[in-house]
Amino acid sequence: MSMLAGNLDLLLLTALLTIVLTYAMGNRRVNGWCATGLYGIQLLFLIMMGMQYTQATTNLQLFSSSLTATMFGNHLVWEMSGLGWFFAVITVGAALFSSWYAAGAWSEKRDGMRLFHVAMAVNVFSMLLLLSSGDLLSLFIGWELVSWASYLIMTQRGGAAANAAFRYILYATAGAVAILAAIILLHQKAGSLDFETVRTYLAQAPNALVWVIMLLFACGFLIKMAAVPFHLWQAAAYSQTPGPAAAFLGAISSRMGLFALAIVLINLIGVARLIDMSIPYTFLDARTLWLWVAAITVIVPTFIALTQTDARMLLAWHGIGQGGYMLLGIMVASPLGVSGGLMHVFNHASYQAALFLAVTSVVYRTGTADLDRLGGLVTRMPLAFTTMLLGIIGLAGLPPMNGFVSKWMVYKSLLDANMPLLFLASVIGTLGTILSVYKLIHNTFLGQLRLEYRDVKEVPWSMSVPMLVLGGIAFITGYLPGLVLDMAAPAQAVLGIAPLPHHLGGVTAATGSLNMIWVVSILIVSIGIGALIFYGGNRTSRVHQFDNYAGGHFLTADMRYHYSHNFYAGLMRVIGPWYRGSVQWLETGLVSISNFSADLANGIYRNAYTSAYLLFTVVAGLTWVMFG
Amino acid sequence: MNVDWKILLVELILMPIVAFVVGLLLVLLMRKVRARIERRVGPPFMQPLYDIIKLYGKKTQISHGFIMDLGVIMVVGGYIAAEVFLPVPGMDGMAREGDLITLIYLMMVPSLGLALGVGQCANPNGSIGIARALTSMLAYDIPFVIVVAGAVILYGTSNLTEIIAIQQAGGLSSWGVAMMPLLAIGGLISSYAMLGKEPFELYIAPAEIATGPMVEMSGKYLGALFVMQCFQVYAVSVLYVTLFLGGGENWFTFLLKIAAVIFVSASVTTIFPRYKTEDAIRWLWKWPTGISLLGLAIVMAK
Repeated sequence: MSMLAGNLDLLLLTALLTIVLTYAMGNRRVNGWCATGLYGIQLLFLIMMGMQYTQATTNLQLFSSSLTATMFGNHLVWEMSGLGWFFAVITVGAALFSSWYAAGAWSEKRDGMRLFHVAMAVNVFSMLLLLSSGDLLSLFIGWELVSWASYLIMTQRGGAAANAAFRYILYATAGAVAILAAIILLHQKAGSLDFETVRTYLAQAPNALVWVIMLLFACGFLIKMAAVPFHLWQAAAYSQTPGPAAAFLGAISSRMGLFALAIVLINLIGVARLIDMSIPYTFLDARTLWLWVAAITVIVPTFIALTQTDARMLLAWHGIGQGGYMLLGIMVASPLGVSGGLMHVFNHASYQAALFLAVTSVVYRTGTADLDRLGGLVTRMPLAFTTMLLGIIGLAGLPPMNGFVSKWMVYKSLLDANMPLLFLASVIGTLGTILSVYKLIHNTFLGQLRLEYRDVKEVPWSMSVPMLVLGGIAFITGYLPGLVLDMAAPAQAVLGIAPLPHHLGGVTAATGSLNMIWVVSILIVSIGIGALIFYGGNRTSRVHQFDNYAGGHFLTADMRYHYSHNFYAGLMRVIGPWYRGSVQWLETGLVSISNFSADLANGIYRNAYTSAYLLFTVVAGLTWVMFG
Repeated sequence: MNVDWKILLVELILMPIVAFVVGLLLVLLMRKVRARIERRVGPPFMQPLYDIIKLYGKKTQISHGFIMDLGVIMVVGGYIAAEVFLPVPGMDGMAREGDLITLIYLMMVPSLGLALGVGQCANPNGSIGIARALTSMLAYDIPFVIVVAGAVILYGTSNLTEIIAIQQAGGLSSWGVAMMPLLAIGGLISSYAMLGKEPFELYIAPAEIATGPMVEMSGKYLGALFVMQCFQVYAVSVLYVTLFLGGGENWFTFLLKIAAVIFVSASVTTIFPRYKTEDAIRWLWKWPTGISLLGLAIVMAK
């Protein structure tokens, strides 16, 4: 046991050391490589911890740390469970690739690299602390650290980034207050904040109280996930963050909300209880409510992404939408669904980071991420194109990439649970994603190459290797999804869900199987046959991009011949009014509610019967002291 | 699992070839039906094959770059892969290793390839065509997904071989078309829209966008799109027969059933003009979606 305990201590200490060292080394070039190396060491520690699961007889193994504290009579512990470990691997992995990308040529033209690396290191440390929280109070401490660390990483560019980050911290503070309220309420009622006591207490607590506690927690955690209706802050904040840091945030940051939500909903309250908590005067129960929150989070942000003209905004909105699939899978609460939801966390991190890095590469060379001003870059930046292609196939959830596997598991679990409308909602999200990501790759890499980008070159190897490796991970874990399913198994055990029988290639079940080894192998062989047929034909002759059908006109370089603006004009003629209608109605509604409640509170305080309020408070306080 | 490798290998080779040959016949059927309704004679028996051979053998092959080549390779390769997941009488192929949902998503790979290839051509007509094709995919897939959800819930499995076995064991009254007639109607309309014929050929639209995705395609590139059409017509009709018409007991009834599906579709084609994009979306989201939702409600109530 001492060996295991040492491991988490070592991990946390290395994470702390990373902060100190990145601060000490300042703006030196070597700082980035040093940080990358330290993330590598952290990943190594995590892998060593993961080895324990292959040897242990139970997946419920905990890694305790020597970090403890006592606060208000509560004994705080930090220990990492399988769930925390799964998220920690993704966190450190995302940091590793992001700082690797940032370490080389990308940092040369920039100043403020100290802040960049320190902010990332602070994020990783606080996330690891959150992920190894052993009770609700340490969870809250970790949560607050993560919020402020996110603020630090988002705000570093200043200007619009600072505004977006400020918006986030407003949301996050409101959420933190809600979480704190829930924790205080639980402490009052249950007497302790360790998970076991809280779980026992909640099992016999009245429904109304569980509702209150659940909704308070939900407010805080959903804000981090940017789930609808708290989805407004995230895309602007992430897209304003410097490229590699945005890749890190997009890969993992909002999943901290999912982690905390899974603990509260599945581990502490339990799905059986959620089903039991019916909403009066409807056929709905708490779980159905959660499933629909997830489904709406899939659809609304995805279709907002479809209308974006900035590549980073588009990706950030998709990140929110993909979070909906994870929540959807976890709330189905079947072995297949939870595995799919957890696996999607990993899969999404891999291709989303790759996509952000590919877009960052384009920005590095062209100076813009405006989808109306790019085009034709595939001939100049084939490696960035390859990364983006791998990434968008994953994001759209098509074979052979890993995104398909996890989404397939979510679809299948919804159908197995007889939830066809949620299945429909999740597929609509996927279809919207396909439309949106095609626009992304078409407007950036395909079509006409503009004159001003004629001499653009591929990004240096220090940048292209990490993003290609990420794309490769997304492909390999699509080919062999069993690798990720093995990693998700301890996390699933912590949530108290039965393990999913799986093999290296996927899932075999009586009601429909998926063996990606076969699917991908056949796809590769078939494409090989397609290539044989194609190259077996006569030689092709390459023509210039202006040697094109133009209805009898001659094309010249000053002629814009790339169809990119308002790409889905026909579709927007149908659904365009809905954005103005329902989506913006939702946004203005949220603003109105907060304005209204602010005015109300303002009115109470300002409109003066201060002495009367004081009197009420004193009387209430005395009453509580005497009879409480 | 005990797999006979030799039989499996033969199936894997045979299934795409069968799909291609039957696809050629179905394309011929469509062209013939259309010709007869228009009081024409129509093409001779071998014409679809001749078309492909002619295009493939052309001396001038114009390429707009590697991604265009890759695109048409993905078009042909993706469909070859999809066909082995679609069981036919006597051959299950890979149908047990990937289910109905896998098949549907696998069939999107060639569409993605086409979209990439056309994008590389740098012709706005092509790009508009792809934008419209993806839009119509969003339009027809919503009713189609409702149909798929209803079918999977009714049969209790998404394994295509199981779905066929359930229908064949129960006889005519257990066929999908008898068990869920509304979903069968919704499915027929949406699978017809998948084929991209009038009134849903908004992404070809020769008079508006110069045949859309095909505008820069010639020679073997266009030939690949012809092959794609054969595979697509085959896959859509076989999928419909699998879900609703009890699959194929033997090759004779199987071919008869898929020919019937295509015959109905081809007869509709000739009598409609083309929808505008937004009208196609509205129509598909209104009628087949409404019918399918009703059908789904009935399935769920059972």
